Amino acid sequence: MNFNFLSPFYLLGALGVGVPILIHLMTRRQKKHQRFSAIYLLSQSKNRAIKQSKPNRKFLLFIRCLCIALLSLAMANPIFLPGDSTNFETNDPSAIVFILDDSYSMATQINQKSYYTHAVKALLDTNKSLPAKSVYSVVLGSSPNRVLQHWTVRPEKAKNILELNQPSFRTTEIGRAIKKSLPLLEEVPQKNKLIYILTDRDKNGWNEEEFLSISETTSHTFNIVDFSEMKHGINKTAVEHIEVQQEFLSTSRVIRVKVKIANLSQLKPVNKLKVSLWINGKEQTEGTLDIPTNSSTEKEFSFPLQNNNPINGEVRIEDDSLLKDNLRFFSYQPDQTIKTLVVDGDPNTVEHQSETFYLERALNPFTSSLSNIELTLSTPAELSKRNLFDYSVIILCNVHNLPFGYEQELEKFVLRGGALFVTLGNQVDAKFYNEKLGNILPVFLKSVYQIAKTDEPFRFLIKPSKHPVLKVFKERTLEEMKSIEFQSIYSVEARENSKFTTPIVFNNKLPALIESTTGKGKVILFVSSIDRDWNNFPIQPTFLPWIQRWIKYAARGLDSLIQKELLVGEPFNWENPPKNGKAYIVAPEGKFIAPPYVGGNITFKKTYTPGVYQLYRSSRTPNLESETSVPAHLPYGAEPAGSFTVNIDPTESHSTKISNEEINNLLPKANIIFSNGYQKLNLNKTNAGIPLSTYFVMLVGAMLLLEGWLVRNE
Amino acid sequence: MNENKTIKLDPEILSRIASLNVCATKLVEGLLSGHHRSKHTGSSVEFADYKDYTPGDEIKHIDWKMVAKTDKHQIKQFGQSTNLKATILLDTSGSMGYESSNPKTMNKIDYARTLVASLSYLFLKQYDAVGLSLFNESLISHVPPRSKPNHFKHILHELAVLSPNGITKLGDIIESMIERLPRRGILILVSDFLTKESGVEKKLKLLVARGLEVILFHILDSDEVSLPFNGDIIFESLEDDSSIQLDPADIRETYQRAIQDQIKYYRSHCVKLGIDYIFLETSTPLEQGLTYYLLQRKNLGKHRAL
Repeated sequence: MNFNFLSPFYLLGALGVGVPILIHLMTRRQKKHQRFSAIYLLSQSKNRAIKQSKPNRKFLLFIRCLCIALLSLAMANPIFLPGDSTNFETNDPSAIVFILDDSYSMATQINQKSYYTHAVKALLDTNKSLPAKSVYSVVLGSSPNRVLQHWTVRPEKAKNILELNQPSFRTTEIGRAIKKSLPLLEEVPQKNKLIYILTDRDKNGWNEEEFLSISETTSHTFNIVDFSEMKHGINKTAVEHIEVQQEFLSTSRVIRVKVKIANLSQLKPVNKLKVSLWINGKEQTEGTLDIPTNSSTEKEFSFPLQNNNPINGEVRIEDDSLLKDNLRFFSYQPDQTIKTLVVDGDPNTVEHQSETFYLERALNPFTSSLSNIELTLSTPAELSKRNLFDYSVIILCNVHNLPFGYEQELEKFVLRGGALFVTLGNQVDAKFYNEKLGNILPVFLKSVYQIAKTDEPFRFLIKPSKHPVLKVFKERTLEEMKSIEFQSIYSVEARENSKFTTPIVFNNKLPALIESTTGKGKVILFVSSIDRDWNNFPIQPTFLPWIQRWIKYAARGLDSLIQKELLVGEPFNWENPPKNGKAYIVAPEGKFIAPPYVGGNITFKKTYTPGVYQLYRSSRTPNLESETSVPAHLPYGAEPAGSFTVNIDPTESHSTKISNEEINNLLPKANIIFSNGYQKLNLNKTNAGIPLSTYFVMLVGAMLLLEGWLVRNE
Repeated sequence: MNENKTIKLDPEILSRIASLNVCATKLVEGLLSGHHRSKHTGSSVEFADYKDYTPGDEIKHIDWKMVAKTDKHQIKQFGQSTNLKATILLDTSGSMGYESSNPKTMNKIDYARTLVASLSYLFLKQYDAVGLSLFNESLISHVPPRSKPNHFKHILHELAVLSPNGITKLGDIIESMIERLPRRGILILVSDFLTKESGVEKKLKLLVARGLEVILFHILDSDEVSLPFNGDIIFESLEDDSSIQLDPADIRETYQRAIQDQIKYYRSHCVKLGIDYIFLETSTPLEQGLTYYLLQRKNLGKHRAL
């Protein structure tokens, strides 16, 4: 149990107790000595007078002093803190592992200091009060955990290293930290073994799976010191996600940056939050955003592209108590060609009879520089050799079926933002499509409608549309499209709970083109063939712009494939690095790193700082071998080879806290003591203690009433 | 007892005696002027009755004129011709030494002294014997009753040298004194009656039963009646009580009731026993109190004694 005062300055008011005492002394009548004859009568009278309970001046003085003292106590905002802040019931030497949460949420500011700073102070303070011959060590609580300070007796030893260390950009991993601490505790002979966890109790740091192996065996004493209870440090908002798109459909080159911002407050909506977009260190544009309570809202910035230089940008929002989640980085290489993999399901030695003959020419009529689409032709058999993540768009043209298990690769590809364009034809195995591509295609393929030669063919039902792909087609073009004849089409049936649109339908109301979104990617199904087998569309003049626009439209999410976006701590795999082994990475803080090759590839693990990491290649032989080596500058002639961004994991920003019960469930056998950081530091804190001001004020009122009553009686 | 005691010629005492003398003389002369009749002449030769002669009677008492006339031997009887013997008992306990807070008021012991001197002078002036006994918890001094005019000096000396101290034990004193007091005399008791002892009225009853005419002078200072003090006061006892600290305002009413109860107590018991009870506050001029009492006695037909 403990008492704290939020405004201890007011305790000085207790000195006011001196005022009534002074008045009492000043007005006190001098005691006179009087020789008197009838003392026994005085005694008798006094005894009788006492029975009438006359007020005692000293009692009145006491009440008045008490009133002033209680008033000053009430103004000092006393907080009663149940529970004991210390754990050292005995003076036996103890072995303590401090698990210090250094995740980025611990950088939340309170009283101009971060939770982390308070936690370090609490740790050092606790060290000072350790029983003699106690040892302690410090394990960092963010992922990956590491031992910051191995066992030591000297309380001051960890001070410098702790004060130099800052909260990382990583997330919390309390479970792993405990796993690391348990073997440490086995190393020391002290019988009294304790684990102190200094954390903000973010729920994401308490992964149940990590506790499975230790929950039944761990019976140590845990002292969980919560620093998030400090009310002033509310993290209001966080930038959760950024998506960058280039608008290929429009003639002007426009970059769209879609940013998702979360309001983390459970109580207050955010109004007119200032959001700004910074490109290459300069503020490009800004806007305001209203976000309802405990939800996320997206905002889209768009700006014209001036040149083809890579874009390194960031989105910033107004400062709150946690600065680290108020900005998010992105990088983008504009005007890239849309790498498209065309899978020909019906190849033919006669070129023009191949399924993809017309498609190939429509997408890439002369060179890729004109259409921005770079084609790669493939057969289904060759698919297993292809890395889907090298492409933005995959077009399956009348493919019978896919290699075994390849549908899963395709699904991953789409989920991560790839575009899948499926055209049908006589080779298509509807059963395979229906069974294996259920997660991608929103519809079942039912049957083929074939029109007799004498009958009227299917035609597009043309009407003006606002669809981004179709809105550019004007009347004349639309009239031309009406003349396209379809002899055969697949009829489809919607899958259960699937969401899709049909931008184009036939004149018999059957869908001609089905568009759906899966994950970050798009899936477009054209129910007829892309060659002339089932229709005459490929030879129509509208085919070229039509198919190009659909491919460009579908490829909008390609940035997620081209631009690697990683979270802090995730390794960066540089696939297809420069073969001659001269690759460099420039970290956001300007550090040059020559990453080592492992099996011809580069895996860069030290993505600990959020920001844009630039990749360079050089024709010169690197003179540095290790990953940790830092060259003074980039070698002459080093060329940019792309970039990737590293951002913090937004889950750490969310203020969901793990409850005492949940922790008890995770460690059922352990003796767990919960306490608050302010208890150790005497920080201002109200929400865990019981404020006593009201009670004191009520007591003052009662005292004043009693005093008034006594004086009135007098 | 102190009959032959040499009077010390202490100048202070002498001046006090002179002062008392002047005071008492002045008081008494003032009181008696014009209406006093000496009782000395004839009081002891007044004819009372005749009685037949019986052998053994003094022959000189035979009324020969009666024998000549009636031929009967008759003896003349006369009334008591002895002088009145008055004994004054003065309380000299510590409480009598209370000095009034009002400088204009006479101190209690001085008041009592003057009263006793006045009464003594009054008795002696009438050729009555008067004695003085001083007491606190015991008898301090005793001047036996004498009727010589010179006796007044002895009384004055005793009064002059007394100093109040000790505690009051009225009951014990009466008990010890009762045997040596003359029968059918006057006993004048002058005291403040501030005593914790109970049953004083029973002792007084003994005195009355012995045939003494008892007169009680109850003397109290005005302070003792009204308790006029204010503020926190430590009251120190003039006798053997322990000191007490209090604010008199808190207990004034209770105290005043208590002292009035005591006065009522003595007055009521005195009335029952046929004792003259005179309550005198020192703020009351002594002659006024004395006059009032003497007039009261005269009206009651008791002027024979005084």
